[in-house]
Amino acid sequence: MKNSIKVQRAIHDMTQADLAQKVGVSRQTINAMEKNKYVPSTVLSLKIAKLFKKPVEDIFFLEAND
Amino acid sequence: MKTNYLLPHKYKILGWILFIIGIIYGLVFACSGYDYEPIQIKVLSIFNEGLLHGNDLRLFEIIETGISSELASIAIIVGGLIVGFSKEKIEDEFIYKLRKDSLVWAIIFNYFILTLTIIFIYDLSFFHVLIYNMFTPLLFFIIRFNFLKLKSKSHEE
Repeated sequence: MKNSIKVQRAIHDMTQADLAQKVGVSRQTINAMEKNKYVPSTVLSLKIAKLFKKPVEDIFFLEAND
Repeated sequence: MKTNYLLPHKYKILGWILFIIGIIYGLVFACSGYDYEPIQIKVLSIFNEGLLHGNDLRLFEIIETGISSELASIAIIVGGLIVGFSKEKIEDEFIYKLRKDSLVWAIIFNYFILTLTIIFIYDLSFFHVLIYNMFTPLLFFIIRFNFLKLKSKSHEE
C-alpha cells in the first residue's frame, strides 16, 4: 500500500511531528508510513484522512502486488 | 493503542537496573565456577532427585543453600520482562508491531542458535548452553527491539 501523507502534509504545511501529535502517534510512525515501511491500521488511516478532510482512498492506495 | 499487558513507562528504568545488575551478578557467579555464594539461607526445596548426593528422591524439605544463582536469575528475568513489556514514551501501533516482530525474531533466532549448539556442543559443556538459554530469548528480544527502535529513529526526513 502507498500513501500521499507527505504531499498532504506539505499542502497543510505540517511537520511530521505536528501530524504525529494530532493523530496521537510517534513521529517515527509517520516517518515509517511515508517511507512505506509501515502499513497503518484502519483506525489510524481513518484518523489521518479525517484530519486532512479527504476520503481515505485519496490518501491511501493499493499497489499492484497488494 | 490499548494493550492490557504493558506496564507504565516509568517502570522501564527499574527494569533496566534489575536486568543489568542481574547480568553482572550472573556473570561474576559464572566466572567463579558457580561457586560465589555470599548469601546462605534456608529455602523450601519441593523436589530433589539428589543426583549429586546419593540417588534418593526427597520431597518438600527445608535445606540451607547459597542463592546467588537464584537471585541473579530472578533479577534478569523480572528485569528483562519489565524492560520488554513496559510502555514506550509514545506507545502506538507502530511500536506494538516492532515489539511483536522482535519477539518472533528472538524466538526463531534463539532456537536456531540452540539447534547449532545441540549439534556442535557435547558432554557437560552443554550445561553452559542450558544456563545461557534460560535468558537468551529475553536478551535477543530486548536487543532486537531496541535495535529496531533506534533504526526507526535514525531514518529521518
